[in-house]
Amino acid sequence: MPVALRADHLRKVYPGTSSGTAALEDLTLEVPSGRVYGVIGRNGAGKTTFLRIVATQLALTSGSASVLGHDVATQERAIRARIACVPQEARPLYFLNVEEVVYLYLKLRGMDPVESRRRTRDALDQLTLTEFRKRTVARLSGGLRRRVLCAMVLASDAEVLFLDEPTTGLDPIARRQVWESIRRATREQRTILLTTHYLDEAEALSARLALFERGRLVLDGTPEDLRGRVRYPYRVTIQGSYPREELDSFGKVSAIEGGFLVFAREPEARELARMALERGHRVSMGPVSLEDIFLDVVGKSIEDEGTPPEVEA
Amino acid sequence: MSERNRLRSLLTLVQINGLIPIRTQPLYLINLVASPLSFLFFIWIISRGSDLAYGVMGGMVLTMLGVGTGLQSDLTHYRHDMKFQDIVVSSPVEAPIYVAGLAFSELVYSLPALAVFVVLFVYYGYATLTSVVVLAGALLLVWSFATAFAFTLSTYFKDVRETWMFSPIFSLVLTVLPPVYYPIGYLPGWAQVAARLSPTTYAAELVQGAVGLQPLSFSTATIDWVVLIAFTVALFLIAAFKARWKDP
Repeated sequence: MPVALRADHLRKVYPGTSSGTAALEDLTLEVPSGRVYGVIGRNGAGKTTFLRIVATQLALTSGSASVLGHDVATQERAIRARIACVPQEARPLYFLNVEEVVYLYLKLRGMDPVESRRRTRDALDQLTLTEFRKRTVARLSGGLRRRVLCAMVLASDAEVLFLDEPTTGLDPIARRQVWESIRRATREQRTILLTTHYLDEAEALSARLALFERGRLVLDGTPEDLRGRVRYPYRVTIQGSYPREELDSFGKVSAIEGGFLVFAREPEARELARMALERGHRVSMGPVSLEDIFLDVVGKSIEDEGTPPEVEA
Repeated sequence: MSERNRLRSLLTLVQINGLIPIRTQPLYLINLVASPLSFLFFIWIISRGSDLAYGVMGGMVLTMLGVGTGLQSDLTHYRHDMKFQDIVVSSPVEAPIYVAGLAFSELVYSLPALAVFVVLFVYYGYATLTSVVVLAGALLLVWSFATAFAFTLSTYFKDVRETWMFSPIFSLVLTVLPPVYYPIGYLPGWAQVAARLSPTTYAAELVQGAVGLQPLSFSTATIDWVVLIAFTVALFLIAAFKARWKDP
Protein backbone atom coordinates (compact mmCIF):
# COMPACT_ATOMS: atom_id res chain seq x y z
CA MET A 1 0.00 0.00 0.00
CA PRO A 2 1.40 3.46 -0.89
CA VAL A 3 2.62 5.55 2.01
CA ALA A 4 1.32 9.12 2.40
CA LEU A 5 3.41 10.10 5.36
CA ARG A 6 6.61 8.75 6.87
CA ALA A 7 8.57 9.62 10.00
CA ASP A 8 12.03 8.22 10.60
CA HIS A 9 13.71 8.51 14.01
CA LEU A 10 11.95 11.83 14.48
CA ARG A 11 12.98 13.85 17.52
CA LYS A 12 11.71 17.18 18.76
CA VAL A 13 13.11 19.26 21.58
CA TYR A 14 11.52 22.69 21.96
CA PRO A 15 14.01 25.57 22.07
CA GLY A 16 14.78 26.69 25.59
CA THR A 17 14.16 23.27 27.12
CA SER A 18 16.89 20.91 28.24
CA SER A 19 17.86 18.31 25.65
CA GLY A 20 16.72 15.55 28.00
CA THR A 21 13.06 16.60 27.77
CA ALA A 22 12.13 15.72 24.23
CA ALA A 23 8.53 16.23 23.11
CA LEU A 24 9.09 13.48 20.55
CA GLU A 25 11.75 10.78 20.78
CA ASP A 26 12.89 8.35 18.09
CA LEU A 27 9.52 8.26 16.36
CA THR A 28 9.35 6.00 13.34
CA LEU A 29 6.07 5.26 11.60
CA GLU A 30 4.32 5.10 8.24
CA VAL A 31 0.84 6.35 7.41
CA PRO A 32 -0.79 4.50 4.52
CA SER A 33 -2.41 6.52 1.78
CA GLY A 34 -6.18 6.96 1.52
CA ARG A 35 -6.98 5.92 5.10
CA VAL A 36 -7.61 7.48 8.47
CA TYR A 37 -4.58 7.16 10.74
CA GLY A 38 -5.52 7.80 14.34
CA VAL A 39 -3.02 9.07 16.88
CA ILE A 40 -4.06 8.57 20.48
CA GLY A 41 -2.36 9.40 23.73
CA ARG A 42 -2.70 11.38 26.92
CA ASN A 43 -2.08 15.11 27.21
CA GLY A 44 1.57 15.84 26.53
CA ALA A 45 2.12 12.53 24.74
CA GLY A 46 3.38 14.36 21.64
CA LYS A 47 0.36 14.00 19.33
CA THR A 48 0.05 17.67 18.45
CA THR A 49 3.82 18.13 18.17
CA PHE A 50 3.94 15.29 15.64
CA LEU A 51 0.97 16.63 13.70
CA ARG A 52 2.42 20.16 13.58
CA ILE A 53 5.76 18.87 12.29
CA VAL A 54 4.25 16.90 9.43
CA ALA A 55 1.79 19.72 8.69
CA THR A 56 4.92 21.90 8.20
CA GLN A 57 4.05 24.27 11.06
CA LEU A 58 6.87 23.25 13.36
CA ALA A 59 10.55 22.49 12.76
CA LEU A 60 11.91 19.09 13.74
CA THR A 61 15.08 18.72 15.80
CA SER A 62 16.52 15.58 14.22
CA GLY A 63 15.47 12.59 12.16
CA SER A 64 13.30 13.09 9.12
CA ALA A 65 9.70 13.11 7.98
CA SER A 66 8.04 13.25 4.60
CA VAL A 67 4.52 13.86 3.29
CA LEU A 68 3.55 12.55 -0.14
CA GLY A 69 7.23 11.90 -0.79
CA HIS A 70 8.37 15.43 0.05
CA ASP A 71 10.69 16.20 2.94
CA VAL A 72 9.02 18.36 5.61
CA ALA A 73 12.23 20.25 6.36
CA THR A 74 13.22 21.21 2.83
CA GLN A 75 10.20 20.83 0.55
CA GLU A 76 7.46 22.56 2.51
CA ARG A 77 6.02 24.35 -0.49
CA ALA A 78 5.36 21.10 -2.37
CA ILE A 79 3.67 19.67 0.73
CA ARG A 80 1.58 22.73 1.53
CA ALA A 81 -0.02 22.70 -1.92
CA ARG A 82 -1.56 19.33 -1.08
CA ILE A 83 -2.54 19.50 2.60
CA ALA A 84 -5.08 21.18 4.88
CA CYS A 85 -5.19 21.36 8.66
CA VAL A 86 -7.56 22.08 11.53
CA PRO A 87 -5.23 22.91 14.44
CA GLN A 88 -6.14 22.17 18.01
CA GLU A 89 -7.82 25.21 19.60
CA ALA A 90 -8.37 26.84 16.21
CA ARG A 91 -11.39 29.10 15.94
CA PRO A 92 -13.05 30.39 12.80
CA LEU A 93 -12.83 34.18 12.44
CA TYR A 94 -15.74 35.46 14.49
CA PHE A 95 -16.89 38.21 12.12
CA LEU A 96 -17.41 35.86 9.16
CA ASN A 97 -20.58 33.91 8.66
CA VAL A 98 -20.52 30.13 8.31
CA GLU A 99 -20.68 30.16 4.53
CA GLU A 100 -17.92 32.76 4.30
CA VAL A 101 -15.57 30.73 6.51
CA VAL A 102 -15.68 27.80 4.10
CA TYR A 103 -15.97 29.74 0.84
CA LEU A 104 -13.21 32.23 1.62
CA TYR A 105 -10.88 29.48 2.84
CA LEU A 106 -11.26 27.73 -0.51
CA LYS A 107 -10.66 30.97 -2.41
CA LEU A 108 -7.70 31.70 -0.18
CA ARG A 109 -6.23 28.37 -1.31
CA GLY A 110 -6.57 29.67 -4.85
CA MET A 111 -9.71 27.77 -5.84
CA ASP A 112 -11.94 29.13 -8.59
CA PRO A 113 -15.00 30.99 -7.12
CA VAL A 114 -17.56 28.81 -8.92
CA GLU A 115 -15.94 25.61 -7.70
CA SER A 116 -15.54 27.16 -4.23
CA ARG A 117 -19.29 27.91 -4.10
CA ARG A 118 -20.17 24.38 -5.15
CA ARG A 119 -17.84 22.75 -2.63
CA THR A 120 -19.02 25.10 0.13
CA ARG A 121 -22.65 24.12 -0.50
CA ASP A 122 -21.77 20.42 -0.46
CA ALA A 123 -19.68 20.64 2.71
CA LEU A 124 -22.30 22.63 4.62
CA ASP A 125 -24.89 20.14 3.49
CA GLN A 126 -22.80 17.12 4.57
CA LEU A 127 -22.22 18.56 8.03
CA THR A 128 -25.83 19.79 8.31
CA LEU A 129 -24.69 23.39 8.58
CA THR A 130 -26.82 24.75 5.75
CA GLU A 131 -29.44 26.21 8.11
CA PHE A 132 -26.66 28.21 9.85
CA ARG A 133 -24.92 29.39 6.68
CA LYS A 134 -25.73 33.08 7.16
CA ARG A 135 -25.10 33.10 10.90
CA THR A 136 -21.93 34.83 12.07
CA VAL A 137 -19.41 32.68 13.90
CA ALA A 138 -19.69 34.90 16.98
CA ARG A 139 -23.24 33.62 17.41
CA LEU A 140 -22.38 29.92 17.13
CA SER A 141 -21.85 27.41 19.94
CA GLY A 142 -18.36 25.97 20.44
CA GLY A 143 -19.42 22.68 18.88
CA LEU A 144 -20.79 24.37 15.76
CA ARG A 145 -17.56 26.31 15.38
CA ARG A 146 -15.55 23.07 15.35
CA ARG A 147 -17.92 21.67 12.73
CA VAL A 148 -17.44 24.74 10.58
CA LEU A 149 -13.67 24.25 10.72
CA CYS A 150 -14.07 20.61 9.76
CA ALA A 151 -16.34 21.61 6.86
CA MET A 152 -13.69 24.09 5.76
CA VAL A 153 -10.89 21.57 5.31
CA LEU A 154 -13.12 18.74 4.13
CA ALA A 155 -14.38 21.04 1.36
CA SER A 156 -10.83 21.64 0.16
CA ASP A 157 -9.07 19.65 -2.54
CA ALA A 158 -6.22 18.70 -0.17
CA GLU A 159 -4.99 15.13 -0.47
CA VAL A 160 -3.84 14.90 3.15
CA LEU A 161 -5.91 16.35 5.99
CA PHE A 162 -4.58 16.96 9.48
CA LEU A 163 -7.30 17.05 12.11
CA ASP A 164 -6.12 17.81 15.62
CA GLU A 165 -8.87 16.76 18.02
CA PRO A 166 -11.57 17.84 15.56
CA THR A 167 -14.59 16.74 17.56
CA THR A 168 -13.71 18.20 20.96
CA GLY A 169 -16.80 19.88 22.35
CA LEU A 170 -19.24 18.31 19.90
CA ASP A 171 -22.38 16.53 21.01
CA PRO A 172 -22.72 12.82 20.04
CA ILE A 173 -24.87 13.55 16.98
CA ALA A 174 -22.53 16.23 15.67
CA ARG A 175 -19.54 13.94 16.26
CA ARG A 176 -21.13 11.29 14.12
CA GLN A 177 -21.80 13.81 11.35
CA VAL A 178 -18.12 14.73 11.38
CA TRP A 179 -17.21 11.03 11.37
CA GLU A 180 -19.38 10.47 8.32
CA SER A 181 -17.67 13.35 6.51
CA ILE A 182 -14.29 11.91 7.41
CA ARG A 183 -15.32 8.52 6.07
CA ARG A 184 -16.55 10.18 2.89
CA ALA A 185 -13.18 11.90 2.52
CA THR A 186 -11.39 8.55 2.72
CA ARG A 187 -13.74 7.17 0.06
CA GLU A 188 -12.27 9.94 -2.11
CA GLN A 189 -8.86 8.38 -1.38
CA ARG A 190 -7.76 11.20 0.89
CA THR A 191 -5.43 10.51 3.80
CA ILE A 192 -6.40 11.79 7.22
CA LEU A 193 -4.13 12.10 10.22
CA LEU A 194 -6.44 12.36 13.21
CA THR A 195 -5.41 13.01 16.77
CA THR A 196 -8.06 12.39 19.36
CA HIS A 197 -8.72 11.84 23.02
CA TYR A 198 -11.84 9.85 22.19
CA LEU A 199 -10.87 6.23 21.90
CA ASP A 200 -14.25 5.24 20.46
CA GLU A 201 -13.69 7.82 17.73
CA ALA A 202 -10.21 6.52 16.99
CA GLU A 203 -11.51 2.98 16.84
CA ALA A 204 -14.54 3.85 14.73
CA LEU A 205 -12.62 5.80 12.12
CA SER A 206 -9.03 4.62 11.97
CA ALA A 207 -7.71 1.97 9.64
CA ARG A 208 -4.48 2.17 11.63
CA LEU A 209 -3.72 3.56 15.05
CA ALA A 210 -0.67 4.86 16.83
CA LEU A 211 -0.47 5.08 20.58
CA PHE A 212 1.89 7.78 21.86
CA GLU A 213 3.16 8.02 25.42
CA ARG A 214 5.72 10.56 26.62
CA GLY A 215 6.79 11.39 23.08
CA ARG A 216 7.32 7.81 22.04
CA LEU A 217 5.37 5.47 19.82
CA VAL A 218 4.39 2.54 22.00
CA LEU A 219 1.95 0.73 19.69
CA ASP A 220 1.12 1.00 16.00
CA GLY A 221 -1.15 -1.08 13.80
CA THR A 222 -4.73 -1.85 12.87
CA PRO A 223 -7.18 -2.10 15.79
CA GLU A 224 -7.00 -5.91 15.35
CA ASP A 225 -3.18 -5.82 15.43
CA LEU A 226 -3.29 -3.84 18.64
CA ARG A 227 -5.62 -6.36 20.24
CA GLY A 228 -3.28 -9.15 19.18
CA ARG A 229 -0.31 -7.45 20.83
CA VAL A 230 -1.75 -7.10 24.30
CA ARG A 231 -1.27 -9.91 26.81
CA TYR A 232 -4.99 -10.48 27.28
CA PRO A 233 -7.07 -9.81 24.14
CA TYR A 234 -10.46 -10.67 25.73
CA ARG A 235 -12.47 -9.14 28.53
CA VAL A 236 -15.02 -10.95 30.70
CA THR A 237 -17.37 -9.05 32.98
CA ILE A 238 -18.95 -11.02 35.82
CA GLN A 239 -21.73 -9.50 37.90
CA GLY A 240 -22.11 -10.58 41.52
CA SER A 241 -19.70 -12.01 44.08
CA TYR A 242 -17.17 -14.54 42.85
CA PRO A 243 -14.13 -16.01 44.64
CA ARG A 244 -11.31 -13.65 43.72
CA GLU A 245 -8.59 -16.32 44.06
CA GLU A 246 -10.32 -18.41 41.37
CA LEU A 247 -10.43 -15.47 39.00
CA ASP A 248 -6.74 -14.69 39.41
CA SER A 249 -5.80 -17.92 37.66
CA PHE A 250 -7.58 -16.80 34.45
CA GLY A 251 -5.79 -13.52 33.86
CA LYS A 252 -5.71 -9.94 35.06
CA VAL A 253 -8.55 -9.12 37.45
CA SER A 254 -10.01 -5.75 38.42
CA ALA A 255 -12.87 -5.16 40.82
CA ILE A 256 -15.62 -3.07 39.26
CA GLU A 257 -18.93 -1.86 40.59
CA GLY A 258 -21.06 -4.95 41.29
CA GLY A 259 -18.55 -7.51 40.14
CA PHE A 260 -15.26 -8.16 38.38
CA LEU A 261 -13.58 -7.43 35.08
CA VAL A 262 -11.16 -10.10 33.92
CA PHE A 263 -8.73 -9.71 31.02
CA ALA A 264 -7.76 -13.10 29.66
CA ARG A 265 -6.59 -15.05 26.63
CA GLU A 266 -9.34 -16.47 24.45
CA PRO A 267 -9.48 -20.08 25.87
CA GLU A 268 -9.36 -18.87 29.46
CA ALA A 269 -11.98 -16.22 28.74
CA ARG A 270 -14.34 -18.79 27.24
CA GLU A 271 -13.76 -21.19 30.10
CA LEU A 272 -14.37 -18.49 32.72
CA ALA A 273 -17.52 -17.27 30.97
CA ARG A 274 -18.87 -20.82 30.83
CA MET A 275 -18.13 -21.44 34.51
CA ALA A 276 -19.67 -18.17 35.61
CA LEU A 277 -22.82 -18.80 33.56
CA GLU A 278 -23.14 -22.26 35.10
CA ARG A 279 -23.03 -20.65 38.55
CA GLY A 280 -25.85 -18.30 37.55
CA HIS A 281 -23.90 -15.07 37.14
CA ARG A 282 -24.60 -12.43 34.54
CA VAL A 283 -21.63 -12.53 32.17
CA SER A 284 -20.50 -10.60 29.15
CA MET A 285 -17.49 -11.43 27.04
CA GLY A 286 -15.83 -9.82 24.06
CA PRO A 287 -12.59 -8.51 22.60
CA VAL A 288 -10.85 -5.81 24.62
CA SER A 289 -11.68 -2.21 23.77
CA LEU A 290 -9.13 0.40 22.81
CA GLU A 291 -9.53 1.83 26.32
CA ASP A 292 -8.56 -1.58 27.74
CA ILE A 293 -5.53 -1.74 25.46
CA PHE A 294 -4.53 1.74 26.49
CA LEU A 295 -4.80 0.84 30.15
CA ASP A 296 -2.82 -2.34 29.63
CA VAL A 297 0.01 -0.67 27.71
CA VAL A 298 0.26 2.68 29.50
CA GLY A 299 -0.95 1.58 32.90
CA LYS A 300 -3.22 4.61 33.15
CA SER A 301 -6.45 5.79 31.61
CA ILE A 302 -6.27 8.20 28.69
CA GLU A 303 -8.19 10.63 30.88
CA ASP A 304 -5.30 10.76 33.38
CA GLU A 305 -3.24 13.89 32.93
CA GLY A 306 0.11 13.27 31.28
CA THR A 307 3.17 15.42 31.80
CA PRO A 308 3.06 18.02 29.07
CA PRO A 309 6.49 18.87 27.70
CA GLU A 310 7.63 22.44 27.99
CA VAL A 311 6.53 24.12 24.82
CA GLU A 312 7.99 27.23 23.27
CA ALA A 313 5.01 29.14 21.87
CA MET B 1 0.57 28.37 -6.92
CA SER B 2 0.06 30.31 -10.15
CA GLU B 3 0.24 34.12 -10.28
CA ARG B 4 -3.51 34.22 -10.81
CA ASN B 5 -4.10 32.12 -7.70
CA ARG B 6 -1.68 34.25 -5.68
CA LEU B 7 -3.66 37.34 -6.67
CA ARG B 8 -6.89 35.56 -5.72
CA SER B 9 -5.43 34.66 -2.32
CA LEU B 10 -4.27 38.21 -1.74
CA LEU B 11 -7.64 39.72 -2.64
CA THR B 12 -9.41 37.14 -0.47
CA LEU B 13 -7.31 38.24 2.50
CA VAL B 14 -8.28 41.86 1.82
CA GLN B 15 -11.90 40.73 1.85
CA ILE B 16 -11.45 38.66 5.02
CA ASN B 17 -9.53 41.17 7.09
CA GLY B 18 -10.64 44.46 5.54
CA LEU B 19 -13.99 44.59 3.80
CA ILE B 20 -15.99 42.10 5.87
CA PRO B 21 -15.00 43.41 9.34
CA ILE B 22 -15.85 46.96 8.19
CA ARG B 23 -19.22 45.72 6.94
CA THR B 24 -19.94 44.17 10.33
CA GLN B 25 -18.41 46.97 12.43
CA PRO B 26 -18.04 50.32 10.58
CA LEU B 27 -16.49 51.92 13.67
CA TYR B 28 -13.22 50.21 12.68
CA LEU B 29 -12.87 53.00 10.13
CA ILE B 30 -12.66 55.60 12.88
CA ASN B 31 -9.75 53.80 14.53
CA LEU B 32 -7.04 54.87 12.10
CA VAL B 33 -8.48 58.35 11.58
CA ALA B 34 -8.45 59.23 15.25
CA SER B 35 -4.72 59.60 16.02
CA PRO B 36 -3.58 61.56 12.93
CA LEU B 37 -6.57 63.88 13.11
CA SER B 38 -5.95 64.48 16.82
CA PHE B 39 -2.39 65.55 16.08
CA LEU B 40 -3.62 67.73 13.22
CA PHE B 41 -6.13 69.38 15.55
CA PHE B 42 -3.48 70.16 18.19
CA ILE B 43 -1.08 71.56 15.62
CA TRP B 44 -3.84 73.70 14.14
CA ILE B 45 -4.81 75.05 17.58
CA ILE B 46 -1.27 75.63 18.91
CA SER B 47 0.18 77.16 15.73
CA ARG B 48 -3.08 79.05 15.06
CA GLY B 49 -3.17 77.38 11.67
CA SER B 50 0.29 78.40 10.49
CA ASP B 51 1.85 74.90 10.77
CA LEU B 52 -1.20 73.03 9.50
CA ALA B 53 0.78 71.81 6.50
CA TYR B 54 3.14 69.90 8.82
CA GLY B 55 0.10 68.31 10.38
CA VAL B 56 -1.18 67.22 6.99
CA MET B 57 2.15 65.72 5.88
CA GLY B 58 2.80 64.13 9.27
CA GLY B 59 -0.72 62.78 9.36
CA MET B 60 -0.20 60.88 6.12
CA VAL B 61 3.03 59.34 7.42
CA LEU B 62 1.35 58.42 10.73
CA THR B 63 -1.57 56.86 8.87
CA MET B 64 0.81 54.60 6.96
CA LEU B 65 2.57 53.64 10.17
CA GLY B 66 -0.84 52.94 11.69
CA VAL B 67 -1.17 50.22 9.07
CA GLY B 68 1.90 48.60 10.61
CA THR B 69 0.54 48.90 14.14
CA GLY B 70 -2.81 47.41 13.14
CA LEU B 71 -1.12 44.68 11.14
CA GLN B 72 1.12 43.68 14.02
CA SER B 73 -1.89 43.37 16.28
CA ASP B 74 -3.98 41.41 13.75
CA LEU B 75 -1.13 39.06 12.86
CA THR B 76 -0.51 38.26 16.52
CA HIS B 77 -4.21 37.78 17.22
CA TYR B 78 -4.64 35.48 14.23
CA ARG B 79 -1.52 33.53 15.14
CA HIS B 80 -2.20 32.91 18.81
CA ASP B 81 -5.90 33.34 19.50
CA MET B 82 -7.44 31.98 16.31
CA LYS B 83 -4.64 29.67 15.04
CA PHE B 84 -5.47 31.16 11.66
CA GLN B 85 -1.80 31.47 10.74
CA ASP B 86 -1.32 27.72 11.31
CA ILE B 87 -4.30 27.04 9.06
CA VAL B 88 -2.70 29.22 6.38
CA VAL B 89 0.79 27.74 6.87
CA SER B 90 -0.63 24.29 6.10
CA SER B 91 -2.07 25.50 2.81
CA PRO B 92 -0.71 26.63 -0.56
CA VAL B 93 -0.67 30.28 0.59
CA GLU B 94 2.89 31.58 0.94
CA ALA B 95 4.03 33.89 3.74
CA PRO B 96 4.58 36.98 1.52
CA ILE B 97 1.05 36.66 0.11
CA TYR B 98 -0.42 36.31 3.60
CA VAL B 99 1.42 39.35 4.91
CA ALA B 100 0.78 41.44 1.79
CA GLY B 101 -2.91 40.51 1.82
CA LEU B 102 -3.30 41.56 5.44
CA ALA B 103 -1.21 44.72 4.85
CA PHE B 104 -3.49 45.71 1.96
CA SER B 105 -6.51 44.99 4.13
CA GLU B 106 -5.14 47.41 6.73
CA LEU B 107 -4.88 50.01 3.97
CA VAL B 108 -8.63 49.74 3.56
CA TYR B 109 -9.01 50.93 7.16
CA SER B 110 -6.68 53.85 6.51
CA LEU B 111 -8.62 55.09 3.47
CA PRO B 112 -10.87 57.56 5.36
CA ALA B 113 -7.86 59.15 7.06
CA LEU B 114 -5.96 59.32 3.78
CA ALA B 115 -9.01 60.83 2.06
CA VAL B 116 -9.18 63.62 4.66
CA PHE B 117 -5.49 64.39 4.25
CA VAL B 118 -5.61 64.26 0.46
CA VAL B 119 -8.50 66.74 0.46
CA LEU B 120 -6.48 69.10 2.72
CA PHE B 121 -3.38 68.50 0.60
CA VAL B 122 -5.21 69.59 -2.54
CA TYR B 123 -7.19 72.36 -0.78
CA TYR B 124 -4.01 74.06 0.45
CA GLY B 125 -2.50 73.91 -3.02
CA TYR B 126 0.32 71.44 -2.35
CA ALA B 127 -0.63 69.10 -5.17
CA THR B 128 1.91 69.34 -7.95
CA LEU B 129 3.19 66.51 -10.10
CA THR B 130 6.47 66.42 -8.16
CA SER B 131 4.89 66.57 -4.72
CA VAL B 132 2.36 63.88 -5.58
CA VAL B 133 5.07 61.54 -6.89
CA VAL B 134 7.35 62.16 -3.89
CA LEU B 135 4.46 61.77 -1.45
CA ALA B 136 3.26 58.54 -3.07
CA GLY B 137 6.79 57.09 -3.15
CA ALA B 138 7.60 58.03 0.45
CA LEU B 139 4.27 56.73 1.77
CA LEU B 140 4.68 53.49 -0.16
CA LEU B 141 8.07 52.95 1.47
CA VAL B 142 6.74 53.79 4.94
CA TRP B 143 3.87 51.31 4.42
CA SER B 144 6.33 48.67 3.17
CA PHE B 145 8.82 48.89 6.03
CA ALA B 146 6.03 49.14 8.61
CA THR B 147 4.57 45.93 7.14
CA ALA B 148 7.87 44.04 7.22
CA PHE B 149 8.62 45.25 10.74
CA ALA B 150 5.13 44.36 11.97
CA PHE B 151 5.29 40.85 10.52
CA THR B 152 8.69 40.10 12.04
CA LEU B 153 7.65 41.35 15.46
CA SER B 154 4.32 39.53 15.41
CA THR B 155 6.04 36.18 15.00
CA TYR B 156 8.00 36.74 18.21
CA PHE B 157 5.10 37.90 20.38
CA LYS B 158 3.63 35.19 22.56
CA ASP B 159 0.36 36.96 23.24
CA VAL B 160 -1.66 39.76 21.71
CA ARG B 161 -1.28 41.73 24.95
CA GLU B 162 2.39 42.25 24.07
CA THR B 163 1.33 44.18 20.97
CA TRP B 164 -0.72 46.57 23.13
CA MET B 165 2.45 47.33 25.05
CA PHE B 166 4.51 47.72 21.92
CA SER B 167 2.17 49.84 19.76
CA PRO B 168 2.60 53.10 21.73
CA ILE B 169 6.38 52.58 21.72
CA PHE B 170 6.19 52.01 17.96
CA SER B 171 4.31 55.31 17.53
CA LEU B 172 6.59 57.22 19.90
CA VAL B 173 9.84 56.09 18.28
CA LEU B 174 8.65 56.42 14.70
CA THR B 175 6.30 59.40 14.67
CA VAL B 176 6.49 61.55 17.79
CA LEU B 177 10.24 61.80 18.44
CA PRO B 178 11.34 61.98 14.78
CA PRO B 179 10.43 65.26 13.05
CA VAL B 180 7.35 63.96 11.28
CA TYR B 181 5.09 66.76 12.51
CA TYR B 182 7.61 69.58 12.61
CA PRO B 183 10.86 70.65 10.86
CA ILE B 184 14.00 68.82 11.93
CA GLY B 185 15.56 72.21 12.66
CA TYR B 186 13.31 72.53 15.73
CA LEU B 187 15.33 69.77 17.41
CA PRO B 188 18.59 70.39 19.31
CA GLY B 189 21.74 69.06 17.62
CA TRP B 190 22.02 65.79 19.52
CA ALA B 191 18.33 65.05 18.93
CA GLN B 192 18.75 65.67 15.21
CA VAL B 193 21.44 62.98 15.17
CA ALA B 194 19.19 60.59 17.12
CA ALA B 195 16.27 61.34 14.77
CA ARG B 196 18.40 60.14 11.85
CA LEU B 197 18.08 56.61 13.27
CA SER B 198 14.40 56.59 12.37
CA PRO B 199 13.39 55.95 8.75
CA THR B 200 10.38 58.21 9.16
CA THR B 201 12.72 61.22 9.51
CA TYR B 202 13.80 60.73 5.89
CA ALA B 203 10.24 60.20 4.69
CA ALA B 204 9.10 63.36 6.49
CA GLU B 205 12.02 65.37 5.15
CA LEU B 206 11.14 64.29 1.61
CA VAL B 207 7.44 65.14 1.81
CA GLN B 208 8.07 68.41 3.65
CA GLY B 209 10.61 69.35 1.00
CA ALA B 210 8.35 68.31 -1.89
CA VAL B 211 5.62 70.75 -0.85
CA GLY B 212 8.09 73.53 -0.09
CA LEU B 213 7.81 73.55 3.70
CA GLN B 214 11.57 73.03 4.00
CA PRO B 215 14.37 73.72 1.55
CA LEU B 216 15.63 70.38 0.24
CA SER B 217 18.68 70.18 -1.99
CA PHE B 218 18.97 67.53 -4.67
CA SER B 219 21.83 65.84 -2.80
CA THR B 220 19.89 65.74 0.50
CA ALA B 221 16.82 64.37 -1.30
CA THR B 222 18.95 61.71 -2.93
CA ILE B 223 20.44 60.68 0.42
CA ASP B 224 16.94 60.60 1.95
CA TRP B 225 15.65 58.27 -0.78
CA VAL B 226 18.69 56.00 -0.54
CA VAL B 227 18.45 55.73 3.25
CA LEU B 228 14.68 55.20 3.19
CA ILE B 229 14.98 52.47 0.56
CA ALA B 230 17.90 50.89 2.47
CA PHE B 231 15.84 50.79 5.68
CA THR B 232 12.96 49.18 3.81
CA VAL B 233 15.18 46.57 2.13
CA ALA B 234 16.89 45.81 5.46
CA LEU B 235 13.55 45.29 7.21
CA PHE B 236 12.36 43.02 4.39
CA LEU B 237 15.56 40.99 4.66
CA ILE B 238 15.09 40.68 8.41
CA ALA B 239 11.48 39.57 7.80
CA ALA B 240 12.61 37.04 5.18
CA PHE B 241 15.28 35.47 7.39
CA LYS B 242 14.13 36.05 10.94
CA ALA B 243 10.32 36.03 10.93
CA ARG B 244 8.86 32.74 12.12
CA TRP B 245 6.40 31.44 9.56
CA LYS B 246 7.19 27.95 10.76
CA ASP B 247 7.74 27.64 14.51
CA PRO B 248 11.26 26.70 15.63
